[in-house]
This record gives sequence, structure tokens and C-alpha cells, in this order.
Amino acid sequence: MSQLPINGVRRVGQEVRDQNVMAVSAISNVVKSSLGPVGLDKMLVDEVGDVTITNDGATILKLIEVEHPAAKIMVELAILQDEEVGDGTTSVVIIAAELIKRANELVKNSIHPTTIISGYQRARKEACKFIADHMTKKVDTLGRKCLLEAAKTAMSSKIIGLDADFFAEIAVTAIERVRHVSEESKVEKKDAKGRSSVKNVNILKVHGKSQNDSRLVDGIALYQTRAAQGMPRSLKNARIALVDFDLRKTKLQFNVNVLITNPENLEAIRDRETELTKERIDLLLDAGVNVVISTKGIDDLAMKYFIDRNCIAIRRVSKRDAKRIARATGGRVLISLADIDNEGGEVIDESSIGVAESVHEERIGDEDIFFINGCQTTRSQTLILRGANDFMLDEMERSIHDALCIVKRTLESNRVVPGGGAVEVALSVHLEHVAESMGSREQLAIFEFAQALLVIPKTLATNGAYDAAELIANLRAFHNAAQTQENKKHYMWTGLDLTKGQVRDNFAAGVLEPAMSKIKSIRFATEAAITILRIDEHITMNPKVNPKNPAGDEM
Amino acid sequence: MMGGGQPVIVLNQNTRRESGRKVQLQNINAGKMIADVIRTCLGPRSMLKMLMDPMGGIVMTSDGNAILREITVQHPAAKHMIEIARTQDEEVGDGTTSVVILAGEMLAVAEQFLDAKMHPIIIIQAYRQALEDALELLNSDEFSMKVDLDDEQKMVEVIRSCVGTKFLGQYGDMACRIAMEAVKIITVETGNTVEIDVKKWARIEKIPGGRIEDCCVLDGLMFNKDVTHPSMRRRIEKPRLILVDCPLEYKKGESQTNVEITGETDFSKMLELEEEHVRAQCADIIALKPDLVITEKGVSDLAQHFLSKANISVIRRVKKSDNNRISRASGATIINRTEELKEEDVGTGVGLFEIKKIGDEYFTFLTGCTNPKACTLLLRGPSKDLLNEVERNLHDALFVARNMRLSPAVVAGGGAIEMALSHALQEKAKSVSGIKQWPYTALAQALEVIPRTLAQNCGGNIIRLLTSLRAKHAAGEKTFGVNGETGELCDMKELRIWEPLAVKQQVYKTAVETAVMLLRIDDIVSGSKKMKEESGAGAMPTDESMMQ
Repeated sequence: MSQLPINGVRRVGQEVRDQNVMAVSAISNVVKSSLGPVGLDKMLVDEVGDVTITNDGATILKLIEVEHPAAKIMVELAILQDEEVGDGTTSVVIIAAELIKRANELVKNSIHPTTIISGYQRARKEACKFIADHMTKKVDTLGRKCLLEAAKTAMSSKIIGLDADFFAEIAVTAIERVRHVSEESKVEKKDAKGRSSVKNVNILKVHGKSQNDSRLVDGIALYQTRAAQGMPRSLKNARIALVDFDLRKTKLQFNVNVLITNPENLEAIRDRETELTKERIDLLLDAGVNVVISTKGIDDLAMKYFIDRNCIAIRRVSKRDAKRIARATGGRVLISLADIDNEGGEVIDESSIGVAESVHEERIGDEDIFFINGCQTTRSQTLILRGANDFMLDEMERSIHDALCIVKRTLESNRVVPGGGAVEVALSVHLEHVAESMGSREQLAIFEFAQALLVIPKTLATNGAYDAAELIANLRAFHNAAQTQENKKHYMWTGLDLTKGQVRDNFAAGVLEPAMSKIKSIRFATEAAITILRIDEHITMNPKVNPKNPAGDEM
Repeated sequence: MMGGGQPVIVLNQNTRRESGRKVQLQNINAGKMIADVIRTCLGPRSMLKMLMDPMGGIVMTSDGNAILREITVQHPAAKHMIEIARTQDEEVGDGTTSVVILAGEMLAVAEQFLDAKMHPIIIIQAYRQALEDALELLNSDEFSMKVDLDDEQKMVEVIRSCVGTKFLGQYGDMACRIAMEAVKIITVETGNTVEIDVKKWARIEKIPGGRIEDCCVLDGLMFNKDVTHPSMRRRIEKPRLILVDCPLEYKKGESQTNVEITGETDFSKMLELEEEHVRAQCADIIALKPDLVITEKGVSDLAQHFLSKANISVIRRVKKSDNNRISRASGATIINRTEELKEEDVGTGVGLFEIKKIGDEYFTFLTGCTNPKACTLLLRGPSKDLLNEVERNLHDALFVARNMRLSPAVVAGGGAIEMALSHALQEKAKSVSGIKQWPYTALAQALEVIPRTLAQNCGGNIIRLLTSLRAKHAAGEKTFGVNGETGELCDMKELRIWEPLAVKQQVYKTAVETAVMLLRIDDIVSGSKKMKEESGAGAMPTDESMMQ
């Protein structure tokens, strides 16, 4: 190796590729055993000793400290998938790792990486097209059952998998309720399904009881409680004002000084401070408001005014929650009460008051939870999770989040594909056919791509301790028949049954995934693989000695 | 990990990773270990544990949750086990020891299946199925019994069974009475909802000295405060009470104000103003002719002077939570601005205000309330450590009393219900198909750990006892269990040992779910980085809040 003019370690060519392969394989090995309904969980312990137990690929990778740059790309890939789709984080990492591994073998056989890259891109295009054209079914024709099944499939690998029926119902109901059709799209008759945001489903965690005792609340639930014990525990016909300003004694901003010469004015200032707050509260209450929810503080001195009028006040609600309440009750978060027509005056606009049928406080486990029920829209939902302890609740939250995302994606993409490795095997068979029709060197790359996809059913079977080779041979036979013989087309839906270790029609068995998530995960995995394949040099600068930016680092 | 001659560092080097069977066995062992720590704390023959914390403080207890909270553990799975005791404590208050022992046993019986290379998922499925069957059985009339809430005899029996296993067991009658009374006082029924908030409205006050028999429930409140001025009255019958949460002294405004004094008289005028302010406050109060004023904040000497001249006793710096309780017991509204005082704000519900000196300190008693709805449990005893244990016991008893009111159903105690369930589940197991049958049966057998531990702790002949107990249950005698005092077999109906259904349900649910969670793990990565976004949730209830 020649001496470098730069102060650092430089690695080139095959050495770098080998290292990259090793790094990504290591990452994929970490998450491999958590794939599929018979996958197991990981326990992660950080420096402080806090424990996280999870099955979610993205969460695992986020928590482990990765040093190798290629491995970091893998972690980012998982996070990207998590953000874009919400589920399938494990499988995307496994596919990418397998693609890189196989590409490396090709490079060793003297095929230029750019050829492989173009082959991979070609294969990806074919794969996505094939899924869209042949493997999907429309959600519309399948109805609600299909949403439930998609949710169940997403949950099957998680801790809540055993109660999948229960949680699938919750997830689908929640998403259906928060679905929102905007006015414009109603007029234009397009996007009639509306959009649903997973963020509108708030998740509260209270430990105690068992996971089956979790429930979905149509409305809002808050951890915060009434500001004073004297307030009523429940109210009917609530009129809710959301305020984003302090209801404490009014005080001048920091550094503002009042200079007075007459001591009597001092007393006047003090009085005014309390009066101002009282006036504000009176203004709110006079407008018929009986629930005041503040994102800031409410002074103890104000409590009495609320109690006297039999109203509820809640303080220090997070801004996010306040916005959610506003959306559900048709109110608005008031930033100030200032009146535009009358300078210095204050008014409250009727339209900014939210309305709900009832509000009440309920004790769940060891915490008081405040509920707002019967809101004007169902666009805000709250899910209260129960479980044995914090670790479990955290994992349940992640699992539910994945399920919600999947239901949402299914609704959006409106198409589902069979799960349990069916798509991967079908693609693999199809791509092999494509490869055979190609006359160029890319054929080899496409062929390897086809082989790489098989890693998903292989891992699924291995996790279940089944004979992977036999099961996959079986599956391939079915899919080959489906793609070549016209009368055997229905074999297309064949996938793995991991509780029995057999192959079966996964559409009939209700193992469904949104098409979008499959297409995206193949796309992301290929792109990540390509990024890493392009690397042929790796320079690590020695720390400190060279203060200049290590521009030669290709990462 | 050698690639091209140079090692590839993928993970951070100080991360330790363990995976596969080793982890599973470790987890099981950790669970068993934790269960072993508190095994001797189950049943009426339970022993106390003495724990010394790093600060040198001593905790003496037989309460599962209290023990586990004090010990520091390294293994993450062990931490998991400790958490469940806390959950149990928060949810139902009792059964913290049983839940840990049961979870430990459920993990232990799973070991044989892992040895036999059974997939954890199958064990888990069987466990969950068994749990569901068990819960269904528990709800059926054969296993549980509805209790009439007015049947005080029965209620006392249930509480006594709970207290019987604890330090307070020797004073069982007293503890039952206290718990019953306290819960009765704080129960508020509005329409069809019953509100019983033990944490907020039943305060436990510990005063070392005296005998344990002197513990009592007050029909009102007590707190560690004295009147501010010695000349004020210390005993008032039927006091008129005003509660304020503002200081009865001059307080500057919130805004920063500077006064430029120009004239000579201005300075004294300012002082006068301050005095005037206090005078006005006192005048407002005096106008309503109260006998007693209680404030959360301070009281200036000047205000004391005015009020004592008007023959009003003043107590200052009372805690917010105490003030809330006083408000509830006396019917007074807490006010902040004296100028807004109204006749309705005055509380008249208190029968007697009295300051008593107990030991070396003065205590304020507000007793004889007409409709208290909040109360203080006054505990006496030889030492502070002992009182802490009495408090924990009473806390359990209070929760049991509360649970009984909320869901009035009981099951037979003394291990009888576990034995009956175990028997019923083993029968059911025969109809479970496939290899799931084994873990299903194993879970059923794991339930026997409760009667077994009971027998063990009182030195009974375990094998003989358990076999004859099984025979009894096979013959359909569902209420037979172990007499934890003598180590003999007996009918729980005769011994009158009952436990609330809610507690048992929670025990089984938590135990199984914990075991399931731990069995699902096949990889432990330690030394991972801290999760950043988790801090925002703010969902963690504080430990301290339970201690109050």
C-alpha cells in the first residue's frame, strides 16, 4: 500500500466492499430473529440501565450504537421506512443486506459495480410493476374485513399479536373515525376516501390491568386533572375555551420597570394585576364557557372563580393536546382575547368556543384521567393502553402505532398484497423469467436480485424453526405454476403458514399487507444497496491531527 | 470479524450483546431469583425483611412491593419483575408478593420446554389461552362469590384475610375496623358512580410513641401544626372556619416596580400603605366572625395581632393537600382574596377544634365533623420504622376495602382458589390439541406455587399437604386450602379467609403477561444509547405519591 499524503487510514477496492458487506450483515443479523409472527423480541439496556423491550426493527437499530458508516446507512434506512410507511422496518433491512451481499459476490466474479447497479435498478422497476399489475387486490371490493386483516398481519409479530383481533378492531375503528374528507376534495369528487392522520390517535399509557383491558375513547383523554379539587368531576354540555395565555397574575415582561413617584400608585398596580386576570376569566365565563383548558398556568387565586360558577379549569395541557381538542370540539386555541375593533378591549368570539356533550374525570389505575366525550367530530381519538408495566406499555404503543400506520396506508393505497412471503417468492420467480430474457450482463444482477428476495420467506421459516429449503422450493413451484399456466393463476396467493409450517393461500387466510408498503420497502432497500455498492474507497481521518474537514470521506 | 486484515467495528465497542438460549435461560433465572427474595413473605407466617439503603436508613417490611423497590438489581429482566410489583400495588394495592412469586414460577416451568427446543411462541400462546380460561373460570359462580356490601361481617372477614398475613395481623380487629371506617367516610356516591380516592382523602399520620392499639380513624382531620400565637384559643367547639391560600401579609406585586421617593413623608406613607393592606385583609376576615383561620401561606405578626385581638385562632403554612381535605371535611371554600369572602365560604361542619400535645409536638385536631368525606388515620407505635410498616399494611387494607366496595366479589383464600383453578385447568388441558397442551398444563401446575409456598413458610409437610389438597380438589371441594398458621388442610369457608376477586384477577393477568414478555426475548444488547424522544411522555407516576 502506498503512503498517503493525508493523515488517515485509507482502504480501497475489495477490502472496503468486504467490510461493508460484513457491517450490513451484522446489522441485519441483529434484527433477523425478530421478523415474522414467530419472531422474538430484543431487550436493550442503555448506559443508565433503562430497559427497552421491542420487536420493531427501527427501534432496535435506533437504540444500538452503530459505528461503521455502512451500518449507519442501514439504520437510517430502517428509520426512513418507519417514517414513510410505519411498518416493514425489519424486512427492508434484511433485503438490503442480502442485496449487498450478493452484489459483492458478483463483483468478485469481475462484474463492474455499475453493471450490477443498473441491473438492480432494472429489477426493482420490474418488481414494482409486477406487484402493481398482478399481485394486488382492491380494498374496495374486499371491505372492512380486509383492513382488519391487514392490521392483524402487522401486529402478528408483536407483543399484542395474541390479541390481534381485539387490537385490530381498535386500530381500524380509530383510523376510520379520524378519517377526514376535506371540503375541496368533496367538491371535486376526487380523493373521496379522505385522509387520516395517525397523529390524531393519541395514545395514553396507564399501567395495571391487562392488555385486553385497553380501550378506545371517542374523544379526548388527558393526563392532566382539574386544577382544584372543588371543581365538579363531570359536566354535561361542555363549552370549552382553549387558552394559550397565562391566567396567572398579570405581570410585566422581564426587564420592564415601572417607576412611580406616588406610593399610592404602587397599591393600584398590585390591584390591577389581580383584576386583569379576574376580568379575563369573567369574560370567558360570561360567554357561557364552563371548561377552561390552558396550556399555561392558572393562578390559585383564580380557582375560586371557577369553583363558584361550577366550572372546570385544567392547566398545563400540552400545546399538541390543546390543538387536538380544538379540532375535535370545533373550537380554536385562543392566543389572546384582544379585540381588533376596540383597541385595548377584549372579546371572546363565539366561534372559538368548542362544544362537547360531556366531560368527566375518571380514575384509571393510579392516575386521574380527564375525558372529553361526544365531540363534534370524531377526528380526535384516544387510545388508553393498559399493561403489566412500563416496558410492556412502550412496546404496545410502538406496535399499535405500526398497526395504525398500516391501516392508514391500506386505505390510502387502496390495494393489498398477500403477506407471508408470497409477494417475495412471486417476484423472485418472475424476475428469474425476466433475467432469462435479457441478453446482457445485467442478467446476472437481476438473477441475484431475484434470489435475494427469497431471504424474507427464508428468514420467516427459519425463525419458526421449519425447513426453509423445502418450504421455499414448495412455494416456488406454486408460483411458477401460477405464472406460466393460465388455469393455475390462483396459486399466486400462496404464502407461508408459520404456525403450522406449511404453504397456504394467504389471501384466504387473511394475511394481507398494503401494496404501498411492499413497493416502498423494495424501493428503499434497492436504493440503500446501490448507495453502498457505489463505494470503493473509505478514508477515515485521524482525529484532531487534521482539523480540516475530511472531504475525502465518501460517506 | 476480520475483513481484509482489519477488524470491522460495527457496533460500539462497549456494547455487550447476548443472544439465543443463553438469554432466555438468564431471564428465567433472574425471574426466579427475584421471586426467591420475597418467597418467605407470603402468608400469615411471613417474616419481615430488614433492608438497609445506601443512606443508612432502615426499612422493615414484609410487603413485596416495598422490598423490591429498595433492592437494586443489575439484570434487566429482574428490573422487569420488580416493576410488576409496583403495577400491582397501584392497581389493587394488595397481592404484590403473590404476583412476583407466580410470575417467577411461570418462568421456571417454561424452562423445561425451552430445553426441549419448543418455540417460545408456542409456549406463549398456551399461556395466554390458559390465562383466558382461568379468568373465565374465576368469573363463574363456582369459583367466586358475590358479597352483599351491607354484610359488614363478610367485609371484615375479607379485610382480615388481607391484614392477617402482615405485621398488623396481631391487631387484626383493629386494622379491619380502621380500614372499614376510613373507606366508609371517604366514599362518595354520585348517581351510579362511586368515588373512593384513598390517596387523596385518607391521610395517614404517624406519630411515634404510644401503643399500636392506640391507632384510630378520626371523624375529621389532624395535622402537625400549632396556632401561631400562644394567646390564641386552643380548643373551640363548633368553630366557624375560614380557609385561605394567600398570605396574610403584605406581598409585593408581580411586576417589577420602582418607587422614586421624593417627599419626606412618602416613605412612611409607603409603610402605612403596607400596614393598611394587612389591616384591610384582617378586617374582611373579622367581619365574618370566624373562630379559626387556616392559611397555606404565612401570616405576619401584624395580622396575628389583629386576629388574636378578635379572638380568632390562626394556623399557618398548612399543606395544599391538607387544606383540600379540610375544605372537604368542613364545607369551607378555600379563598384567595379576602375581599371576596362571603358567608357561604365559612365552614361550619367541624365539631371540635383542638390542639393537643402528643410526644414533643403539637397537633391540630379537627374532629366531630358532621359529614367528613375526608379523614386522617392516626397511627401510634414504638418506632418510626415500625410505623412505616403499619402504614404499608393499612394502605393494603384500605385498598382491599376499596376494591370490595367497587367490585364486591370474593374468592377463597389460603391457596384454595389457586388449587381449584389449577385442577380445573388441568382438566381443560386434556382438550387442548397439539403440543400446546404441555405448557398449558405446566401453567396450571405453576399455580400450585401459592399453596406450596404457604405450606413451606409455616413449616408444613409440603408433599403430604399438597397431595392431599389435590385429592380434595379432585373430589370437588373447591374451598379447601392451606391454613397458613398451622400448616394443615382446612376448608376456607370455616376459616373465613376470603380474598377480593379483583386482586386475584390482577395477579394472574400481570403474572402471565410478564412471563410472556420475558419469554419473547432472545437478545439482550446492553450499553445502547439513550432514547431521546422518550422523555416527553411524562406518563410516569411518581413513587412518592403513593407513599403519602
